[in-house]
Amino acid sequence: MADTKKAAPVQGTARLQSTVHAQGMMQAQNTAHAQGVAQTQGMTQARAEDATVNVPISDDARTQVVFQRDEPRRAIPFPRLKKKVKRDRHKRTKVSIFRYAYYDPAFKFFVEQVLDCDYLQLPKATKRTMELGIQNSSDYVCTPFKHMMGDWIEALEMGADILVQVGGPCRLGYYGEMQEQILRDMGYDFTMLNFSHGIEQGYLGWGREVLKMVNPDIAIPHGVKQLLACGHMVTLLDRARDFYMANGGFECHHGDFHRAWEGLLDAMRATTTKAQIDQAFADAMAEMRAIPIDKPNDPVRIGIIGELYTAIDENSNLGLDEKLMDMGVEVARTLNFSNRYTHYNEENMRRTIAEYVEYDMGPTSTMTLAAAKKYAQLGFDGLVHAKCAGCTPEIDCIPVLRRISEDFHVPVLYLTYDTETSDTGLMTRLEAFYDMLAMKKEAK
Amino acid sequence: MSNYLGIDIGSISTKGVIIDEDRTIVARSYLWTEGNPAQAAKRVMAELADQLLPGTAVVGAGTTGSARRLVGAMIGASVVKNEITAHAVGTTWLHPDVRTILEIGGQDSKIICVDGGIAVDYAMNTLCAAGTGSFLSSQAHRLGVEVEEFGPIALTSKKPANIAARCTVFAESDLVHKIQVGYAREDIIAGLCHAVASNYLNNVGKGKKIQAPVVFQGGVSKNVGVVDAFERLLDMPVAVDPDGHLMGAFGAALLAADAGPVSVDGAPGAPVATGPFASGQLDFEAAEDFTFTTREVECQKCANHCEIICVYRDRDLIDAWGNRCERGEVKVP
Repeated sequence: MADTKKAAPVQGTARLQSTVHAQGMMQAQNTAHAQGVAQTQGMTQARAEDATVNVPISDDARTQVVFQRDEPRRAIPFPRLKKKVKRDRHKRTKVSIFRYAYYDPAFKFFVEQVLDCDYLQLPKATKRTMELGIQNSSDYVCTPFKHMMGDWIEALEMGADILVQVGGPCRLGYYGEMQEQILRDMGYDFTMLNFSHGIEQGYLGWGREVLKMVNPDIAIPHGVKQLLACGHMVTLLDRARDFYMANGGFECHHGDFHRAWEGLLDAMRATTTKAQIDQAFADAMAEMRAIPIDKPNDPVRIGIIGELYTAIDENSNLGLDEKLMDMGVEVARTLNFSNRYTHYNEENMRRTIAEYVEYDMGPTSTMTLAAAKKYAQLGFDGLVHAKCAGCTPEIDCIPVLRRISEDFHVPVLYLTYDTETSDTGLMTRLEAFYDMLAMKKEAK
Repeated sequence: MSNYLGIDIGSISTKGVIIDEDRTIVARSYLWTEGNPAQAAKRVMAELADQLLPGTAVVGAGTTGSARRLVGAMIGASVVKNEITAHAVGTTWLHPDVRTILEIGGQDSKIICVDGGIAVDYAMNTLCAAGTGSFLSSQAHRLGVEVEEFGPIALTSKKPANIAARCTVFAESDLVHKIQVGYAREDIIAGLCHAVASNYLNNVGKGKKIQAPVVFQGGVSKNVGVVDAFERLLDMPVAVDPDGHLMGAFGAALLAADAGPVSVDGAPGAPVATGPFASGQLDFEAAEDFTFTTREVECQKCANHCEIICVYRDRDLIDAWGNRCERGEVKVP
């Protein structure tokens, strides 16, 4: 027993010595080449002169020796504390993200502050965007795909180098792959930063994807800090929007809220730090709170629920929340980007609707149903369920919504959007819905 | 004497009524729109004028239906309301105890659930016009039968053919197949009526609790075959009002009556007297004489190129719509 115990450290030392030995040899070789002296001679000399050969060394010394290198350390990306200026032998890359409701200030912040690239700001979507999208997508694909397709083509026409597509828990997760293929077939040259790649490995995989595809020179601590600030901005945008939707329908002078809201978006687009974001938010909220409103004690209240893209994006739902506000409705929408991504707890939310749902049914189903039940309990007058044509998870929600509607006696208006641009049919339905709720309220 | 006019301009037919101060219908008109809502509204008004006693004054108007805005601008209506509200208002006035209103029109179909005289829930067909009046009339054309004769023929059938009801296109190919195989005509027609009713209940009425008393209205309610199919499917009596096809126009007239007479001197809260109402009451001859033109303008203020519809009475711009932002707003004098 004693022998084996003794033997182990001895072996260790021996291996160590041989490592040191080999290193010494290599050093000698280099010198030999440089001086043009015969190789063997140099080797023997080096071995003879190397004082470390055959000398037992302490543990401290051992670590020093193992990590001792003759070349300077190669740069590893973490941690780099200062923001590194990108080498100017490369041209700045232009990054574009699809149009999505009012989140473009956050996208701009993400591209400029986190990815350290130039942001390509897309102008407002037009009919042409829609037509491009329809032309180049499969007919039966969900509608957001077509909207994004139109956005990508316009972005590429404007000279985008990199397109950013998000990953998602439904068919959205396959969008990037499909769109990249279609755009390549159309002959465009670009890089697609697709967060469906790498997201399954968590944040690290995601970060690696970004470094590999977009910009290997990102200063990581700086980027992480700004990424958190970006999430913070999304939360604040949603909070301001909630205030706007609750009060925008009752402004004394039409257009005040909209102006304040546009001002907030402009201010957010100009921010570069978290402090500036907070300042812009505080200013805009003060401005919105100062707007005179004439709100009755018991206004008609409508909750918007539905699918993540269509229920939020005014371009695809034909300005649903603004239309409701114009009728004088207090609008609420739990569903937004920050509630779904930055602080989302599906399990807890599912517990609130345990009598209806046992499993998570998809991207926003739990949120749709939990929000519907919450609004019903809070005594909202009606719910509007907005989805795009062919959204399977939201179709799955409809039978449950019917049960909620029956149990709480709250009417639900189901809207399905495709690529139509005329809002006549939508107005008819919304007006009728509003009339019905208002008459019901009056009769109470 | 304060009478009110209500016009319902649908895609297929245009309906008009005039109600007196007791809110009973004193004049009624029903004719085809024929793709020209402005002309149809004029013809309806001419027909109504013929039925009125001389000296009756019409002091307000309401419009509804898909061309409500255009015709509302033309005749200077004080109320322009969507057809769902108009139908609910009209029917609950005539049938205060109604719980469910089934409505099938030319292009759309809807269900309205009523509780205590107030609409509490409604649904409207969304993406397709399957099982509506236009489907029935196109199939009548195929069978060489007038659509008005459909009902009596359907009732003679002992064994209705089973026709796929899911979708108009499938129904049509199924129908052609049944004709070629040699089904009796009355069985096919009864099958079609059955298909319309079951399609309606499966699509529009899905998830809605249909409670008696049920009132069925809209143009298709004149078809006794469909009424019979509904009664069998729902297993409850389905009432059809003799004025059921006019209910939208009646509702619009009621809403106009609620708004009160038009005011020439601009009294607060009262609707403003314009157009044929300029003198404070409807001048039928003036309504006849005005010429209305609509012009489609493509807005050039941004890349979206909204199509703006401008409506001119004689040569004056009276209304415009279709713009999506304030840049395309047309100022109406």
